[in-house]
Amino acid sequence: MIRDSKSLLGAILLVLCGLAGAAEPELLEPDQAFRFMARLKDARTIEVNYQIAPGYYLYRDKFRFTLAPADAKAGTPQLPAGKLKHDEFFGEVETYRGHLAIALPFELDAGVTPVITLTALSQGCADVGVCYVPHEQKARLSLAAADGAASDVSLGQLLGLGQRAAGADDALIARVFESGFWLVVASFFGFGLLLSLTPCVLPMVPILSGVIVGAGHSVTKSRGFLLAAVYVLGMAIAYAVAGVAAGLSGAMLSAALQKPWVVGAFAAVFVALALAMFGFYDLQLPVALQGRIAAASNRRYGGHYAGVFSMGVLSALIIGPCVAAPLAGALLYISQSRDVVLGGSALFALALGMGVPLLAIGASAGALLPKAGPWMETMKRFFGTLLLGVAIFLVSPFLPVAVQMFLWGALLIVTAIYLRAIDPLPAGAHGYQRFSKGVGVLVLLAGLVYLVGAFSGGRDILQPLSGFRVTAREGEPYTAPFQRVNSPAELDARIQAAAGRTVMLDFYADWCISCKEMERYTFSDERVQARFRDMVLLQADVTANTAEHAALLRRFRLFGPPGIVFFDREGREIRGLRVIGFQPADRFVTALDQALGFR
Amino acid sequence: MVLFAAVAIAAAMGGAAYHLWSRSGGGAAAAAGSGAVVEQVYAAPLADLKGGAQTLGQWQGQVLVVNFWATWCAPCREEIPGFVRMQERYGPRGLQFVGIAIDQPDKVAEFSREFHINYPLLMGGLETMELMRQAGNRAGVLPYTLVIARDGKLVSREPGGLKESRLERIIQPLL
Repeated sequence: MIRDSKSLLGAILLVLCGLAGAAEPELLEPDQAFRFMARLKDARTIEVNYQIAPGYYLYRDKFRFTLAPADAKAGTPQLPAGKLKHDEFFGEVETYRGHLAIALPFELDAGVTPVITLTALSQGCADVGVCYVPHEQKARLSLAAADGAASDVSLGQLLGLGQRAAGADDALIARVFESGFWLVVASFFGFGLLLSLTPCVLPMVPILSGVIVGAGHSVTKSRGFLLAAVYVLGMAIAYAVAGVAAGLSGAMLSAALQKPWVVGAFAAVFVALALAMFGFYDLQLPVALQGRIAAASNRRYGGHYAGVFSMGVLSALIIGPCVAAPLAGALLYISQSRDVVLGGSALFALALGMGVPLLAIGASAGALLPKAGPWMETMKRFFGTLLLGVAIFLVSPFLPVAVQMFLWGALLIVTAIYLRAIDPLPAGAHGYQRFSKGVGVLVLLAGLVYLVGAFSGGRDILQPLSGFRVTAREGEPYTAPFQRVNSPAELDARIQAAAGRTVMLDFYADWCISCKEMERYTFSDERVQARFRDMVLLQADVTANTAEHAALLRRFRLFGPPGIVFFDREGREIRGLRVIGFQPADRFVTALDQALGFR
Repeated sequence: MVLFAAVAIAAAMGGAAYHLWSRSGGGAAAAAGSGAVVEQVYAAPLADLKGGAQTLGQWQGQVLVVNFWATWCAPCREEIPGFVRMQERYGPRGLQFVGIAIDQPDKVAEFSREFHINYPLLMGGLETMELMRQAGNRAGVLPYTLVIARDGKLVSREPGGLKESRLERIIQPLL
């Protein structure tokens, strides 16, 4: 079955590739044939990357690298060994195909140049019998990023981001797009797989199981898989289409997905699903709709599939909040490059990745689904509890900490009661029962701690009892002294007025979860505040999203908050030092130091 | 719900179709206006191997084969012996080859001696690349060959190595 699912995925991706490939002219433009990318590996080395299209190659002895301005000097590039190619005129020549990474050491005389420009000259040919004239490609490299924690982007790191989807850095994801088509699609598939490990996918399990159970008693494995595949396909297509449409229209979809009432609605759906799990009522489609779907499936064989497909499309909405970060990255790319095919394919792959566990469930024809009996009841309650947790997590940015603590406390205590934490153990209790009670008591205690924290003024969700600490800070939590800016003109005026001081511009919105996290955990850090004193702090609150706000965002090519931009003492933006997404205080202090270090 | 799904699929296909259309539209635009391109080809200032100023206009009225090439380009070197043979065979009937090298003059001169090239070789530069692009060589590849009829019509544009047999079929009706 696993092989089946792979080949199906392969077929879908091939179709997509065909769409993109059929439109290609016979010969690629040199920038496409030899995709060029450079980055700072460390303070003394530039890594030059070429992604060479299949059927094309570069000559090893034709590379020339130069740096500007003149105080940067390029050393000898470390060219890996090439593939020997026999040429009837030139004899044995070394060529490169596929991916090529060249390390280029360099030296700086003065050491104050913030940005250097690399000019790379390369020469290559295509197997069909043409050569390209020596081709010049340039890259701007910001030295500030060399030792910053945010500069080094590896695939592993990018995938690591998926594990903490809530605070993922959409700029990094936008950068993935600079690699080849397949790498992008594969990375997004990977993101999807990681997202499938988050609780976001949970609500889809009961929906899908309903679909499969509803298909009748004699569900074969292949039919189960097919149903699941149709469902996942519906979800994936909804994502690709919504993403492309939003990207082209430039709308802040990720912003819309984080508005309080939208998030509230999602949370309500999660609560409703959770209550169904606890058996308060049976979750079913409205009777009228069920009747129509049944009628349709009686009329023709495909009717049921159409229903399942549309369930998939609708389900895409439910997992919306979870995919906000990768979605924002993909949208950023689509809106800037207008490369609809790649952006759409990436989102499609993302949704397919998220659907893999669902496909496994479908392929098992319900075998992986809880069977009737006490085991299933336990499973359902467990899922229900998780769903309630997700609901609290979703709305937590909009709630005071005390309310959050109360909710967590309540959830934990009710869970403990379900675990029979305070029921007496029967005389000859099983080991399992004893263990369960032990866990229940622990959960009960944790719940009590949260309740106490909620009523004793605890300010940190991770340290519920911090309200009791005598050394706790007095009065209101720290708020950084931001000056508000609302338009590009206002920003320019403020930067001018800063005269010789480093400026930090923070994009903020009420719905922006990572902005609130920054405020709560990072800006409140004493080391951060110490550095803030030497800076002019500006904040653009784009909650209202006026035309002026949009102009501000566009100026920095941001799609929306979060985003922190720094300006040096002469009012120029320090490129390569942007902070996008949540950063803990340790890393943020490093960024502030670098910003302050610019003259 | 079925309707929603149908709209979603239609939108996806529409997007793909637009993508294909916008790409092919770009190609058609480049093909138009080839007459003006020939004027530019005739007028483009080029240098001979001794540094003297030359234009291709001096061969206007002949069947002109303009070959963009370089000594460092293996497929270019492959086709040149065939050009030498054809220049010898059809030159008296009004066929004129001209090679425009994207290269260094000394290398071109050495190559010319070695391969006994019997037609004019001129030197191209950056603006020659632009000229090639205008003439339809969007990817900027070598070799690239233009065939221009006696009346100044651009008859053929050939990226990549050109076989003698194919070139003969193109020029026979023009002579």
